[in-house]
Amino acid sequence: MSFDVALIIDSIPKMLMGIGLTLQLLFLSLLLGTALAIILLLMRISGRWYLSVPTMVYIYIFRGTPILVQIFIIYYGLPQLDFVRDSIFWPILREPFGCAVVALSLNTGAYVSEIFRGGVLGVDRGLTEAGAALGLSVRHRFVYITAPIAIRLSLPAYSNDVISLQKSTALASTITLLDMTGIARTIVAETYAPYEIFISLMIIYLILTWVIQRSFGWIEKRMSRHIRSEA
Amino acid sequence: MEAITGWWDDYFWGSLVVVKLFFVALFLTVLFGLIGAAAKLSKNRVANTIANAYTVIFRGTPEILVLLLFYFGSAITLTAIAQAFDPEIKFVDFPPFWAGSFAIALIIGSYATETFRGAFLGVDAGQIEAARALGLSNLKTFVYVRIPAMWRLALPPFGNHMLSLIKDTALIAIIGLEETLFVAEQAIGTTGKPFTMYILVGAIYLGFSTIITLTVMVLEKYANRHLEIAE
Repeated sequence: MSFDVALIIDSIPKMLMGIGLTLQLLFLSLLLGTALAIILLLMRISGRWYLSVPTMVYIYIFRGTPILVQIFIIYYGLPQLDFVRDSIFWPILREPFGCAVVALSLNTGAYVSEIFRGGVLGVDRGLTEAGAALGLSVRHRFVYITAPIAIRLSLPAYSNDVISLQKSTALASTITLLDMTGIARTIVAETYAPYEIFISLMIIYLILTWVIQRSFGWIEKRMSRHIRSEA
Repeated sequence: MEAITGWWDDYFWGSLVVVKLFFVALFLTVLFGLIGAAAKLSKNRVANTIANAYTVIFRGTPEILVLLLFYFGSAITLTAIAQAFDPEIKFVDFPPFWAGSFAIALIIGSYATETFRGAFLGVDAGQIEAARALGLSNLKTFVYVRIPAMWRLALPPFGNHMLSLIKDTALIAIIGLEETLFVAEQAIGTTGKPFTMYILVGAIYLGFSTIITLTVMVLEKYANRHLEIAE
């Protein structure tokens, strides 16, 4: 047993061929998941039980089950149902990529909406009351007062969720997608060199995580520049 | 639904494996978390560096990669060792149960490290000084003063770690452990009903998550009973 450096140098470019797919999964699911999270949040805080109760059930189910099971239900499970195969969504759900995006978006949407809710609840009541005193409507108060502050408050937790989403994209390799992890698994199956391949891939993922953390750190700093003490 | 008949016992045994896995991994998670937190809080620079590297690596890389690295890595190492003694041996692996529980415990342990570190820092320094003044040894201070005061603070985030832990057990089916997801795959092979079988897995995990959530709620109430207002 030895550490094969030539193999590492040889396989890193191969694995990086999958980074495009990993990033596509990440950004597409992030975009759709965040949009879903906003809808869920608005339903949750609407104060109408027929909107908030289904949202709570949705969040409970998606946060209470493993993402891998969700991916399997969507990719392997849904084709069992005839009405899914007849529906307009079938072209998306037929492809592993579409299934992975749907599963990751639905999952991350549940988590992110709770993060946003925390942000909204964290906004000082006095500010919205001041808005009301100024005669702003409920909608205006939400858009101009609550939302900007809530976004800033939920940003740190949101960045953690982006990182966990990035890690979840690796699960796409279980439904035949050749993202970075999928390629690595193929190489390991051929060469039987798990240490070399998996450790170099872990380093690639660490770099991605670091980039995400740094970017959010920068955004957070920018968004709270009015609070920073003069130095 | 009738497709499930005949598979109930398999699902039951699969769930039992999940439960066993959960408790073994939970024990290891607490252990790794405490060691990690102690290392981070110590004044020893080497311990600090190792603990920091540990949390960065295991929080920044996909769970599935860590799992694959542990399982296949340990397998080739063990095979190499075995072959040194007996060249006839073709393949030896670390049982998936142990490789899996070790891997997920290391991952969740890295999160627990941060939680425990924060909780230890949250313990009033005056209490530790008081213990010192009473002449308690370091070990006794740790067991009788620090631990009882910190677990209460660590409980809410640790509840979330336990939820991640139970959900991560699903990943171990990938390396061939006969838990619920693995049972579902076998059941699908004979019945051809993937949706039904995977939904059942989801329902089982939702049940586990609910039990954990309720347990943590009860524990939190118990931990904070001294703060309740007397009636």
